[in-house]
Amino acid sequence: MTQGAAFLQNLAAAGFVALGIAIAYRWYRERGRAQAMLALALISLAIVAALGRVGDPRHPSAVLSIVEVVAFLLSGYFVLLFRNEFIPLGTFAFQAANLLLAISIVVGVVDVTLLSRADSRAATLIGLELIGAWAIFTGEPILRFWLASRNLPAVQRSRMRFLSFGFAVLIAISFVSILGGSALQSPAATIVVELFVLAVVPAIYVSFAPPALLRRIWRMGEENELRAAIQDLLIFTPTRQDLAERATVWAARLLGGSAAFITDADGKVIAHAGIEPARAAHLMAEQVNDSTRAPDRVIAVPLPLTDGQGSLAVVAGPFTPLFGSEESSQLRAYASSVSAGLERARVTERMAAIESNKTQFLNLASHELRGPVTVIRGYVSMLEGGLLGHLNERGRKAAVVMSAKVSEMNELIEEMIEAARLEDGALTLRLVEADLREVARAAAANVAPLVDSVHKLELDLPERRVRVNIDPDRTRTIIANLLSNAIKYSPAGGSITCQVRARAGIARVSVSDPGLGIAPESMHTLFTRFGRVITPETEHLKGTGLGLFLGRQLARLEDGDITVTSVPGKGSTFTLHLPSASASEAPANGAPPDAAAATEGHVVGARARANRRSTD
Amino acid sequence: MGSPTSSTLVDLAPGSLLWFPGHAGFLPFASTEAGLMARQQLSGRGSPTHVLMIEDDPSIADMYRVQLEHDGYRVTVATTAELGFITVAENSPDLVLLDLLLPDRSGFEVLISLNERLPNHPPVVILSNYGEPSMIDRGRSLGAVEYLVKSRVTPADISSQIPTWIAVGRRGGQGES
Repeated sequence: MTQGAAFLQNLAAAGFVALGIAIAYRWYRERGRAQAMLALALISLAIVAALGRVGDPRHPSAVLSIVEVVAFLLSGYFVLLFRNEFIPLGTFAFQAANLLLAISIVVGVVDVTLLSRADSRAATLIGLELIGAWAIFTGEPILRFWLASRNLPAVQRSRMRFLSFGFAVLIAISFVSILGGSALQSPAATIVVELFVLAVVPAIYVSFAPPALLRRIWRMGEENELRAAIQDLLIFTPTRQDLAERATVWAARLLGGSAAFITDADGKVIAHAGIEPARAAHLMAEQVNDSTRAPDRVIAVPLPLTDGQGSLAVVAGPFTPLFGSEESSQLRAYASSVSAGLERARVTERMAAIESNKTQFLNLASHELRGPVTVIRGYVSMLEGGLLGHLNERGRKAAVVMSAKVSEMNELIEEMIEAARLEDGALTLRLVEADLREVARAAAANVAPLVDSVHKLELDLPERRVRVNIDPDRTRTIIANLLSNAIKYSPAGGSITCQVRARAGIARVSVSDPGLGIAPESMHTLFTRFGRVITPETEHLKGTGLGLFLGRQLARLEDGDITVTSVPGKGSTFTLHLPSASASEAPANGAPPDAAAATEGHVVGARARANRRSTD
Repeated sequence: MGSPTSSTLVDLAPGSLLWFPGHAGFLPFASTEAGLMARQQLSGRGSPTHVLMIEDDPSIADMYRVQLEHDGYRVTVATTAELGFITVAENSPDLVLLDLLLPDRSGFEVLISLNERLPNHPPVVILSNYGEPSMIDRGRSLGAVEYLVKSRVTPADISSQIPTWIAVGRRGGQGES
C-alpha cells in the first residue's frame, strides 16, 4: 500500500514534469506572451512536483524548500498573468496581487527557515496563507475562463473547461491536504489524492495540446451546423463586400475570437467585424513586421484574392486565450473557402453589372435616339407633303425611301425600349377581351408593305370569333413580327400562311413559311435577348435579335407562349398560344363584347412572372 | 381597337411596326379636315391662333414652327421652363406644347406651377421623348389634354390636332384628374 502510494506520487510528479516539458517545447515552437505565461506556470508546477520527490521528506533541505515555495507561488502568479494577457488586470488588482505575492514569499521563506519546528497550528495557518494566495491567483482566472467558455465554439470551450477543471482540482487538493491533517497521512488517502492529481495531468495537457481525435469528438456536434451556415454564406451572399463582411463574422465565431478582419494585398482592411479598421491595420502590421514577436492574440492566414494575396485574421477575445495549430489549420481551410466564395461573388457581380449595363444602355440609347429620329421623321414627312417646296420625281422617291427607313429606325427604338422596360419590370399590359382574328388581320395589314412580288401572304381564319384576353396592340405587334420574320427568312419567296385556330381553351396563331428553317442546335438562341441565328444565308439580314425575345416574354405575360417547329431548308412554323377568354367572363348584360369596353385588367410585367411559365 | 382603321396615327405610316403604339395618346383622334378656316374660327375674329412651344431643342422647335406657321398659326418658342411660364402668364397663348426635359426644371413642374398660379391657363399638350405609362399617367393627372411621344407623331399630325385640343381645353377638359 505504501509502495503503491509512493509509486503514484512519483508518477504524478513525473506527469507534471512531462507537462512542463511539453508546454515549454510548445512555447518554443509557437511563441507568444500568453503561451509563455501558461508555460511558466506549468513549468513552476513541474518544479514543485519534482522537488517534492527528491531528498528525504523527513529532513527537507532549506534551499530546496525555499525554491519549492517560491515556485509554487509563482505558478499561481503566472496563471494570473496568463489571464492578464486577455483580460488586463486593473492597476489596483495588479498591485494587490504583487503585494500578496511578496507577502506570501516572505511568509513562505520565514516558515521554511525559522519556523520549521513550530507547532502544527502555526504550520497549518502558514500553509493556509500560501495555498490561499495560490488559490486566489489561479481561482479567479479559471472561474472566468469557465464562465466564458459557454459562448465559445466546441473546441475552445472544451479546452477552457479542461484547463479550469485541472486547476480547480489542484486548488481543492491543496486545501484538503492542508486541512485534512493527519487523516490524510494514510497510504490509502494518499492514493486517492494522487489519483486526483494524476487526472489533472491529462486535463491540463489537452487544454493546450488537444489531440486531433479529441478535437474531432468535441466538434462533432456543431460541425454540421457550422458547415451548413458557412456554405450558405459562401454560395448565396450576392456581393463581394457583403460576403467579406459576413465571412469575418463567421471567422470570429469559428475560432471563438472576439473580432476578425480581412486585408487586401496592400494590407488595407477591406472587411472587419468586432474591431476598428485602424486597430486591425495596426495588428496586421505587427504580424507582418515580426511574426515571431507578434502577439498570439491574433491569428492570420493568407487569403488569395483576385488582386493578390490578402489575409484573413482572427483576434482573440478576452476569453479565447488559446490559439494553436488547430485554429490555424481550421482558419486556413476556412480561408480557402472564403477565397472561392469571393471569386464566385465577383463573377456574379460582374454578370449582374453587365446585365444592368445592357439594360441601362438600352434605355438611355433608345430614348436619346428618339430626339434625332423625331426631327428626321418630321422633315421627311414635310418633304413628302410638299411643305418644303416641290420635289421632282427622284426626290419624291427618295423621300418615300427615307420615310420607310425612319419608320424602321423607330421600330427598332421601340423594341429596345420595350426590352429595357421588360428587364426593369416596368412593363404594364392592358388586357382586354378581343377577337384574335381581328388582331391577326391588323398584323397582316401592318406587314403588307413588306410583301413583295415573290411572297404571298395567306390569312386562314375561322368563321367564329376567337375571343382572348390580351393586350391587342402588343399582340398585333407579336404577330406582325412573326409575319415579317417569315418574309425576311424566306428569301426565295413563297406562300406564308397565318392560321388562327381555337381549341380546348387555347387560341393559336401559327405563322408558317417555306424559308431557310432553323438548325436544331440554334434553337436555344432564338428566344434570347439579342440572340440571332447567324448563318451564311442569314448574315446579311438585319435585326436586333429582340423581336422573338420580346414576343415570347409578352406572350407569357398574357399567360401564353410562343413555340417553334422547323426543318432546315424546308421552313419554320412559329405558333403563338393564348388562353381563350372563357364564356363566363363575357359581359352578362348582353352588350356587344366590344374590345375596349369589355373585361379590363392590368398585368405588371415582371421577369419572375414571365419566367414562371417557362416551357423551354 | 385591334383593327388598322382605329389605330393611332402612327400606323398610318406604311411599314411601321411599332412595339407599343397604344399609349401614344389618350384622346380620340380628330379627323384631319381641320383647315385654316377652322383655326381662324377657333381663335376668334381672324387673329391667328397663338401656340407656345416650351422646347429647348432648337432643331425640333424650328421643325414644328415650319409646319405650324405654314398652317397659319402664330408660334412662340420658349427654351426654358422659366421663360415658358412667363410667356404663358404675359401673352396668354391659346395652346401650350410642353417638353418634359428642360434645362432648368421639368415640364411636370411647369405644369404644376401653371395649375397653382394660373388656374385658367390654356390647354397644355405634353410632347416628350418618354412614353412610359407612369409618365403618361402623371401628365394626365396634372391636367394635360394630351401626352404624345415625339418620335411617333409628325408635325402635320400635331398641327391637325390643335383645334381639337383647344376645344377640349375650352370645355374644361383640363384640370381633371
